[in-house]
Amino acid sequence: MKKSLLTITLIFAVMVSIFAQENPYHKVMITEISKLDQADSLKKFQQSANAFSRISQLNPKEWQPYYYGALAYIYQGLDGSLSLAKKDEALAKAAELIKKADAISPDNSEIITLEGFKVMAEVSADPASRGQSLSGTVMSNFGKALKIDPENPRAAVLMAQMEFGMAKFFNSGTEKACDLVKKSQVSFAGQNQNALKASLMPSWGKFLADKLSKVCQ
Amino acid sequence: MKALFISLSLLFTCSSIFGQTVITGKISDQKGVGISGANVFIKGTYDGVSSDENGNFRFETTETGNQTVTFQALGFKVQEKETICSGQPMTFQITLSESIQVLTAVTITAGAMEASDVKKAVVLKPVDIVTTSGAMGDITAALLTLPGTSTVGNDGRLFVRGGDASETSIFIDGLQVGNAYGSTATNVPTRNRFSPNLFKGSFFSTGGYSAEYGQALSSALALNTLDMPLRNQGDLSIMSLGGGYTQTLVGKRNALTASGNYYNLAPYQSLISQKFDWEKSPVSWDTEVSLKQKWGKAGFIKAYAHTEGSLMAIWQAVPGEAGRGNRVQINNRYSYGNLSFRQVEKNDWSFYGGLAYSHNRDAVNLNYEPIRQINQVGHAKLVAVKDFSSQLSLKNGVEWYLKAYSEELVDDKLRRNIFDNQLIYFVEADYYFSNKLIFRGGLRNGYSTIAKQYWLDPRASLAYKINDQGQFSIAAGRFHQLPDEKLRVLQNNLKNAEASHYIFNYFIVSNNRTLRAEAFYKTYENLATYSGTDRAPVNISQEGSGYARGADVFYRDKKTFRNTDFWVTYSFINSKRKYSTYKTKVQPSFAPEHNGSVVVKHFISSLKSQLGTSWSWNSGYTFNDPNLSGEMQSKTKAYSDLSFSWSYLPRPNMILHIACSNILGRNNVFGYTYASQPDETGAFSRIPEGQGATRMLFAGLFITLSKDKNANQLNNL
Repeated sequence: MKKSLLTITLIFAVMVSIFAQENPYHKVMITEISKLDQADSLKKFQQSANAFSRISQLNPKEWQPYYYGALAYIYQGLDGSLSLAKKDEALAKAAELIKKADAISPDNSEIITLEGFKVMAEVSADPASRGQSLSGTVMSNFGKALKIDPENPRAAVLMAQMEFGMAKFFNSGTEKACDLVKKSQVSFAGQNQNALKASLMPSWGKFLADKLSKVCQ
Repeated sequence: MKALFISLSLLFTCSSIFGQTVITGKISDQKGVGISGANVFIKGTYDGVSSDENGNFRFETTETGNQTVTFQALGFKVQEKETICSGQPMTFQITLSESIQVLTAVTITAGAMEASDVKKAVVLKPVDIVTTSGAMGDITAALLTLPGTSTVGNDGRLFVRGGDASETSIFIDGLQVGNAYGSTATNVPTRNRFSPNLFKGSFFSTGGYSAEYGQALSSALALNTLDMPLRNQGDLSIMSLGGGYTQTLVGKRNALTASGNYYNLAPYQSLISQKFDWEKSPVSWDTEVSLKQKWGKAGFIKAYAHTEGSLMAIWQAVPGEAGRGNRVQINNRYSYGNLSFRQVEKNDWSFYGGLAYSHNRDAVNLNYEPIRQINQVGHAKLVAVKDFSSQLSLKNGVEWYLKAYSEELVDDKLRRNIFDNQLIYFVEADYYFSNKLIFRGGLRNGYSTIAKQYWLDPRASLAYKINDQGQFSIAAGRFHQLPDEKLRVLQNNLKNAEASHYIFNYFIVSNNRTLRAEAFYKTYENLATYSGTDRAPVNISQEGSGYARGADVFYRDKKTFRNTDFWVTYSFINSKRKYSTYKTKVQPSFAPEHNGSVVVKHFISSLKSQLGTSWSWNSGYTFNDPNLSGEMQSKTKAYSDLSFSWSYLPRPNMILHIACSNILGRNNVFGYTYASQPDETGAFSRIPEGQGATRMLFAGLFITLSKDKNANQLNNL
């Protein structure tokens, strides 16, 4: 009985996972996430943001479409060719999406990290007037994200980037920053990126970690 | 089963052959320029595409039948088109109209100067108030580097555009603060009681302000307290004048901050020679508790309590008399409590308001004769805002004010008091014609139970943006204010004084440079006039009137010089008024004609330091010389003060701040006190009203203690 129950459960689980992979939401998400991963221009980030907006209007109860949509808008907010007003417009849109994602999935380490990333983009849009007042908010978001999930490599690597800036400002050593980069690399190595991708979970940021680790050597 | 499967797949294939509809078209803005990156899709499906650089788009859909095509782009209103997909190609030519972007749209800048981290049309960041050299952590002193203000060195309060200090009302989280300045003796400057670190931003208006503010003839200063602090931390300060400690505890949805400070000027004044004849150097203490609670999804409740005490005794020489002169001792107790809320409700309604109460007791000993004065201000406010669309919002508010004052000659058991209730209703509408043009109109009604007077103040303003960053605003309005309670207690039926403001403003922010220029005209009616002296007025009437006109310029630049942020202000004020004891229209002592200031902050990374300097200047204060004919016919020499400050961050959580005012040692004079009787030669002798000391030196060490290693003093620099 126990065995057959297990078999049924297993079959059911397999079926669900097949079904899940086959359902159009999952399929389109996989495609769009990989497009966002490879996007390298403002145009592509706009296309990506639009695609996720189309997905979320059909799947308003899922947090991932909002999450990736916000990410695509944050990348737009970091685009050097845009004016400050346009950057802020994109980041305001990102904020709106993050809020929606957070309402569906509160205390989610990834969403809190994204919030920190968004504020980081706001700072980088106008560092002279925002750096002092917003840096603390950025750090506290990453700190909060790491508290919930100490293995979140994105929170660690973005925090490392902030620490690099801080070290430069205070003219101090980069040990703290480099420790975080290492921590982030260890987390990336310990995670099955393909499994994460298949379950639509965030997996970006490794490139940044590898890039920063070169500074530490 | 197999057959079914085949037929099903056939069905799908068929539908994809027959049902493939190609949708093409172009999306443009109202000027006909193509919008790139717009989102076009069939509502409720994944079928869609982004427009290209020229606004063109093309996509295919397998959907059939009645469908809705949605067109959306950042900064524009969403548009939807009903259509029937039948396999026939379709083309759409779409013009999107811009949506109102609160973030980038035109804002009313006439009369207003904002300090904010989030808004665009600001002249200051909140942190500037803390770091302006020469301000020594006093909110008022930092604001005195802004256009439209006059520094009156022997007073310390805010004087705006020819108005006296009582014409500026101060609000915390929208609620009035009574006695916002510390109690002090005549000619001894005071400070704002509230620490600049409490606030996340401020709104300082030098005229033409919204119908939300009243009982202020010249100016409104609205201070907004911080929302949620970031982390648990302790802040320790050790200063040359005293010290304090603040503890912050942060929960998930609430936070508690408690602080205590103690200041004693005696050790400092024993080291650095003083010009004032202190018997007892000022000693003061204060404690504060602040609670923040999130309420629902978007609501917030804040409670704040502040209480403090101070004691000082000073001798002030009397012209023409030998000896130390008059002895003034002031023992002050002050408490302020404020409970405020804000909440967003359904259907675009939002609400805010609260309760505030302040109690100020001055036990004054004038030449050992005890006098007791008690001021109370209560304020209750409830405002409802309805956004009818992104273009139109309407604000309705009701307020109740309690203003009470009593004074008592303790030995003679003589006491008099006044107790006034004021009821206010205001309504104000904001209407955006477009992102470039906004109109604001409002009405403020009030009734005072003691004055038995009803008043109505219309206010209006308009702002127009010429291009991306430059904009013009105009504002006009009527303002009523009842005379000071110290006069009303003598004559209860005094009515409102009245002012009218007309303001024209140009404002541009571009690439870390800000330019603001403003011209104004203001008239005064029904100002209180009396005979006798300011301390003992008799025959009070309200026949005074006057005017103030002028222009001011503010320029701020963070760009031109590397790591340097500076601003330059110039204000021209031409003001005359008949009021208090004056028989004719005179230029008041607190309205110097030319006023200027320069503030510079320079960061030196290798020294981990920020160096600051500020220079404040005006063309001199008028005073009345009884040896000459006429009134207020004389003027002091120009006022000038060059201050310097150095902030050093040896460690991220530690800041050392050193500041010195008037480094050039200029002997500033703010006016003269004349003898009440001529001496034997027939002349009135005089004593200059000057500074308490040539220079003021300040040193402080501020340490943040937190388990969170990310805590630092960066945001205090």
